[in-house]
Amino acid sequence: MTITYVLMQNLRRNRLRTALTAIAFALPMAVFVSAISFVAMFVRIAQANEKELRLGVHHRTTLTNYLPDGLRRKIEGLDPQRTRLSAVCGMRWFGGRVPETPNALTSLAADADTFPIVYSELDLTPEDTALWQRDKRAAIVGMGPAETYHWKVGQRVVLESTVPPYLSLDFNIIKISDNEMRTNFFYFRRDYLEDSLKEVNADGARCNIFWIKCQSAEAMRSLQEEIDRMTANTPDETKTEDENAFVANFTQALGDIPGLMQVMAAVVVFIIALVAGNTMMMSFRERTRELAVFKAIGFQAPRVFSIIMAESVMLATIGSLLGVVPTATFLLFFPITMFRFGPISRIEVSPLAVVVSLTIALLVGLLAGVWPAYQAMRLRTVDALRRVA
Amino acid sequence: MALPFSYHWRNLLVRKTTTGLNILVVAAVVGVFCWLIGFAGALHSSLATASDSRKLIVLKSGATSESNSAIRTDEYNKLNQIAEVERLPGSGAPLISPEMIVQVQLPRVRDQGTTRANVGVRGVTETALQVHRNIKVLGRSFAPGAQEVIAGVSAAKQFGGLEIGETIHLGYASDRPYRIVGYFSAAGGPLESEIWGYLPSLMNAYNRAMYSSASMLLQPGAAAEPVITQINGPAIQLKAQTEAQYWSEQAKNIRIYLNITYVLVAIMSLAAIFSIANTMFSSVAGRTREIAMLRTIGFSGVQILTGFLLEAVMLSLLGAVMGCLGCAAWLATVGRTKDMFGATTFTSLAFEIQLTPMIILAALGCVALVGAVGALFPAWRAARVQVVTALREA
Repeated sequence: MTITYVLMQNLRRNRLRTALTAIAFALPMAVFVSAISFVAMFVRIAQANEKELRLGVHHRTTLTNYLPDGLRRKIEGLDPQRTRLSAVCGMRWFGGRVPETPNALTSLAADADTFPIVYSELDLTPEDTALWQRDKRAAIVGMGPAETYHWKVGQRVVLESTVPPYLSLDFNIIKISDNEMRTNFFYFRRDYLEDSLKEVNADGARCNIFWIKCQSAEAMRSLQEEIDRMTANTPDETKTEDENAFVANFTQALGDIPGLMQVMAAVVVFIIALVAGNTMMMSFRERTRELAVFKAIGFQAPRVFSIIMAESVMLATIGSLLGVVPTATFLLFFPITMFRFGPISRIEVSPLAVVVSLTIALLVGLLAGVWPAYQAMRLRTVDALRRVA
Repeated sequence: MALPFSYHWRNLLVRKTTTGLNILVVAAVVGVFCWLIGFAGALHSSLATASDSRKLIVLKSGATSESNSAIRTDEYNKLNQIAEVERLPGSGAPLISPEMIVQVQLPRVRDQGTTRANVGVRGVTETALQVHRNIKVLGRSFAPGAQEVIAGVSAAKQFGGLEIGETIHLGYASDRPYRIVGYFSAAGGPLESEIWGYLPSLMNAYNRAMYSSASMLLQPGAAAEPVITQINGPAIQLKAQTEAQYWSEQAKNIRIYLNITYVLVAIMSLAAIFSIANTMFSSVAGRTREIAMLRTIGFSGVQILTGFLLEAVMLSLLGAVMGCLGCAAWLATVGRTKDMFGATTFTSLAFEIQLTPMIILAALGCVALVGAVGALFPAWRAARVQVVTALREA
């Protein structure tokens, strides 16, 4: 009679309870793995952004104020030898929407020459870059809008701007990027936008934000300070911040969903700990006599302790697998894509989240087993046999 | 005669640990539930109060919100031809309010200014107070000639630097000092998250020659539809919406997040059902003999079934009370203030999560249901205990 056999028998003895516990464990675990995946995605994006060493320069008052086009030359002038910055890319908000749809895409007009350098993570091939430089109407699109509107490379699309003077422009999609960080974006050339604006006599070349690709973290810090100092006391005072600080403004403004998910995950851990603990207490209480018999026939206290612990851990593992595996599989095949939150276009379960979930479940199993197992260990054989019988 | 109440009460007390653990499970679920419902409710009520059916909001066609709309003065003047507009008694001036909205970044009070929110600054004229009928100026309003503004009560509470007497810097280059001279309320509506000042002064400060939008008050009894058609039509070519339409459009993105959190809460409630069922099953199993005794002395199966249900409901309600208290404590310590972007306004809507009696009632109701569902099968089993076998066996 092996220990595994005993464990299996114990779990099988009260099948109803095992099933109920497993389900009560699995459901919150499914919530947990989704919530953690979501948070993990934000962490991963933040790390990736940090690695890109980009600084954003926008108007101090608000992002919707424009900065003069010429600021790019001034920023480049801070480092003529190019020892600290690689390139500066000016961007202007277009806020285009597909005609007859309500929501504006994150569509930005970017400086054609420096865009491929500043957004090197988009993995533009030399051919892509050549096409982008040659075709004035070129557009580079993330997976999000491409999936929503079923766009293909080479397709011609029309977007209507939601900002004055509400231009309607057509674009040629030259690349659909699967880069996770840029999934909800629509980039096109700023010279195309500025020329089209000139045709309707709208005011001249301006940007909402300049993104600067830096060469080191030190360079980033020094440039950040220098740019804001350079523009101080001019009508166009700037605020320079790194990409994560910039994104954080939006995350906060959108109700701090990652924070909410973290709290949710913590509550779930609390719940599963209680559920598992409850079951182990019940099953210990009902088996006091049996455990006493075990001890009477010569099982050592540590052995009895480990039997209970093993049962608790096993139950937790089964419960968590039941919660995590179906959720992960479901999201793998049917990712939730209608959810466009900041940089995130789809919720997928990341391997990291699975590992974290299973580890948490294991810990919860250990924790839930400790008290009953400790009591079993300290059980006074004679008393227990007498009391229950 | 039903089983005495104290019998069930004591049964819960006897199994202290199990009862306690279950109460905590329910409490955790209810706590999250209350917070989420409070969040959704606060958001909803703030948007719902912004629905004066006589008020229209006019934007440039093509614009999706006031923030990205720009109306020229000549376009604005065309609105004067609409006959259904309410007129000021005496002068007969139409109640159309030209408005300009811009944003200013102000620190959030809730995180001591670590992050900043985009707060809407609205330039208005005297007409605005007549058109937006739910606005109440608390204290003094801005004087047209002076660099003065008034702050909405939600904005004043959640964003830094908006105390009466303080000065904020507005204008395109944030270089014009404006003094806060008063507050205003808007019956809890979204306008409470804004700062209001005198339109010509603010337009000058922001180098703007165009209005963002116009709000108009229709005569009592006038239908909104024909006016909207007239404004959208060839004679005026602007875009009009009722106030309710406008705000429900702005809150669209927020609803998706709410739906997702609802799903998560539903899953956790299901887990609570299973957990309660588990406990009740074990409770029934442990008391088989006792139940047989009760049957022997004349209690019916139905009475025993209701008894067990009652026990579970009692347990859940205890958990619910703890959950509500927990949620209230969380709101009191961590904070109840939240703000959220509209879909396209680019300005923050500030609101406060309140644990209203309605939410508490809803939580208690749902939880009683959860307890009853969880206990249904165990109680059914208890009611069907075979008296003779049970007495002999145990």
